[in-house]
Amino acid sequence: MNGKKVVEIKNLVKNYGVNGFCTTVLKGISLEICKNDFVAIMGPSGSGKTTLLNILSTIDQPTQGAVFLDGVDITKISNKELSKMRRDKIGFIFQDYNLLDTMTLQDNIALPLSLNGASGEECIRKTQELCQMFGLSGHLRKYPYQLSGGQKQRGAACRALIANPEIIFADEPTGALDSRSSKELLESLKMVNDSGRATILMVTHDAFSASYAKDVYILSDGQMQCRLSKGSDRREFYDKIIHMQAAMGGDCL
Amino acid sequence: MSMMNLAWRNFKSSFKNYLAVILSLSFTILVIFNFQNLLDSDMFALLGKQNGERIDMLVQTVSFVLGCFMFFFLWYATNVFLTTRKKEIGIYVFMGLTNQKIAWLYTIEVTMIGLSSLVLGIVFGILTAQLFQMILLAISDLSVSFSFHFALRPVYRTAGGYLVMYLVFVCKGYVNLVRSSVLDMISAIRQKEYVKQNVWLLFVKSVAGVSILFFGYYMAVKEGGQEVMGNVLAAVALVVIGVYLLFGGFLPMCFLGLAKKKTFLYRKQRTLWINQVIFRMKRNYRTYAMTCILMLCSVTALATGFAMRSRYDAIVHFRNTYTYQFLCGQKGLDAKVRPLIEQDNQIAYSAQIPILLLDADLVKTRFAENGYALLSYSKLRDLAKASGLEFTLTEPNDREVVKVSKLHMLSLLTDRSHETVTINGTVYDQVVETTVPYLGYFQELMSFYLVNDDEYQRLLPLGEEQWSYHYQIRDINNFAASKEALDTLQDDMAGEKIARVTIDPNSSDIEWIKMMYTICIFLFMVFVLASGSILFMKLYHDAFEEQERCQTLIKLGVAKRTLKKSFSHELQIAYGLPFAVMAVSAYFSVHALEKMMYTNLILIYLRSVGVVFLLLCFFYVLSTRIYARNAGIK
Repeated sequence: MNGKKVVEIKNLVKNYGVNGFCTTVLKGISLEICKNDFVAIMGPSGSGKTTLLNILSTIDQPTQGAVFLDGVDITKISNKELSKMRRDKIGFIFQDYNLLDTMTLQDNIALPLSLNGASGEECIRKTQELCQMFGLSGHLRKYPYQLSGGQKQRGAACRALIANPEIIFADEPTGALDSRSSKELLESLKMVNDSGRATILMVTHDAFSASYAKDVYILSDGQMQCRLSKGSDRREFYDKIIHMQAAMGGDCL
Repeated sequence: MSMMNLAWRNFKSSFKNYLAVILSLSFTILVIFNFQNLLDSDMFALLGKQNGERIDMLVQTVSFVLGCFMFFFLWYATNVFLTTRKKEIGIYVFMGLTNQKIAWLYTIEVTMIGLSSLVLGIVFGILTAQLFQMILLAISDLSVSFSFHFALRPVYRTAGGYLVMYLVFVCKGYVNLVRSSVLDMISAIRQKEYVKQNVWLLFVKSVAGVSILFFGYYMAVKEGGQEVMGNVLAAVALVVIGVYLLFGGFLPMCFLGLAKKKTFLYRKQRTLWINQVIFRMKRNYRTYAMTCILMLCSVTALATGFAMRSRYDAIVHFRNTYTYQFLCGQKGLDAKVRPLIEQDNQIAYSAQIPILLLDADLVKTRFAENGYALLSYSKLRDLAKASGLEFTLTEPNDREVVKVSKLHMLSLLTDRSHETVTINGTVYDQVVETTVPYLGYFQELMSFYLVNDDEYQRLLPLGEEQWSYHYQIRDINNFAASKEALDTLQDDMAGEKIARVTIDPNSSDIEWIKMMYTICIFLFMVFVLASGSILFMKLYHDAFEEQERCQTLIKLGVAKRTLKKSFSHELQIAYGLPFAVMAVSAYFSVHALEKMMYTNLILIYLRSVGVVFLLLCFFYVLSTRIYARNAGIK
């Protein structure tokens, strides 16, 4: 974590409900993500992972605290600016792919770039480049219903990457995939991260997926319980995560 | 909870979703009610006395057209509703409901919708009836007066007809659901429309569609004789099939072609709306084709109405060229008639011309006429000068004739080239036909042919020459004042052959044409509002399916403004394509009408298309407001 700060979270609190029936989901979380990081956030259901991701992706507002995205406090900007921020600085990968079934894979991937006003030639070049990288070159003309889950999710990853966002938020990206497809996707994400093309924040409850990240934060009961950093070997890191899970108690993850 | 309670809850909670269906059905009822009310009013009774058979025929035709319209509209509305509900109530399969129970639930809901629509339609029908009749009367300028009234008979008739038809479709829906397999129901819930289309099939459809459509246009404007009726019917069938294939093949192929041109496609929100149009086109092409044909009917009806109206005015003008016309065997009748007319009226102009009456056995024409007469060129020129009528005819050569014709209301004979007339075995070429009223009402009574003076002299021995005298008085409404004096003259000359025509400018024997005009405008309003509301209804439902897609796009950072722009483009296509195809097709249908009605209708065509355009703009604006809201964007 030595590069430029892409995301900085300061003392983030999120309450749901009204006075007297208030539930605190996030209890003062602070976190920094720098350029080219690959961070995984793990936690059991109800730990606040999705809430955190929703706030970071500007879909939800915190009750307290500040979130800086590329130096801008996203809790204090207008809806229009938020929309622009989402479009220009953030890439999303959702658990259920969210590819538009009315267009081909190529059009789905090119969509963010073309909406940003890029030229047709640039959209085509970048789409082909990313599809090459993610092993999707042979599927460009297919519609989502003609693709497997893994192909769809890799397509969604390409779409997230095409506009060169500052950060990619991945919400349980392997949640709907089989083990082989999960592995293919994670390898691809690792590859783009290693090549310096993407900073990734991934929310997952799967230790195997988390082991592809460089750092893993464990979120429980609305607080960051610990942070694990990968050494040189992914398998060792995986074991480390499993041991930590065991040490924190089975219910933690 | 009983089925009735469940259905009532569904009805209440989804009322907003059903609103489009209810409003569309109410509109249909409103139309039928207004027509029934019109039939029940004094207007038809009064006109009926004067134009009995023609009015009856008109009423029967329009009732049939409206009946068909109502039938198809109900079919469409209940079908859309069934498809939507099948997806939603399919979920009850998991709760252990049998097909019969689900179908019963649907039946109760659809009955509630039907009854709400009926009540709304009748109430709005009653509220708008007077306004409606006032508009129609103002437009048609009928010379009858009647009092506005409210009667129960139109309510019974409308409600009865509607309920019978509606019941048929409710039963159809019930049977459909009872016969659906559980798998059908479940898959209906998860129904995803596949976008990919068979390009070869599209290509075949495109080629067939474009060819059939253009062949239809050709048949519509092809000139001919009696075969024109067959051509017109063939054109109608071909255009309907062609439009259907155009929307099912050619237009999707064009958009697929655009989607393949990525440098064109990847430009701002174009990626979104072009792909969306392709997706929608596959599902909605029947609706687009249907609305296009309805709009085509509306423009043709309006053009027919206007043409009828202008022809009515022309016929009235034609007939009123002269107030009194005489045909007499002796020369010099003018000296007796003129003073008699001048006793009570001032003569504006008068003229006389000898007419050579021919025995019908001596003359052969393509279609047999009431009687035949010849006119001499120089005498007709003198008559035109005396009457102040334009005269641009050049003198026909020997063996040539000019037909001096009446104004036709409508003629299926569109090819008038190479017409010939055989007089006593000699063939004469008809070089031109004129409808200038040189002999006024006489032209409606027999066929006149103009020949050159020498030819006239040569043919003189073949017939009987009579003298015709024509008088136009200054105040044509005072025509009755001279009637008694002229009757006396005729009585005094009882021994001689003398015929007289007196034109009453207020004669109402052709009032039915105005009625036809009124009905054409009524049909125009019905068709154009129906097409607009069908498109509106379809888009209203489609918008709900956009919610998920919009949420994804918003998550991806697509601004609401961008989405709204994309919607606008989609809706422009949804309204614009049927309009554009209609505008082209209507040009040919109006052109065909032009030929049959011997008149220029280009302005009427432009006006009708303009009116449809404005109405569609109204529906478009309404749709843009509602579409975004239904798609979950505020």
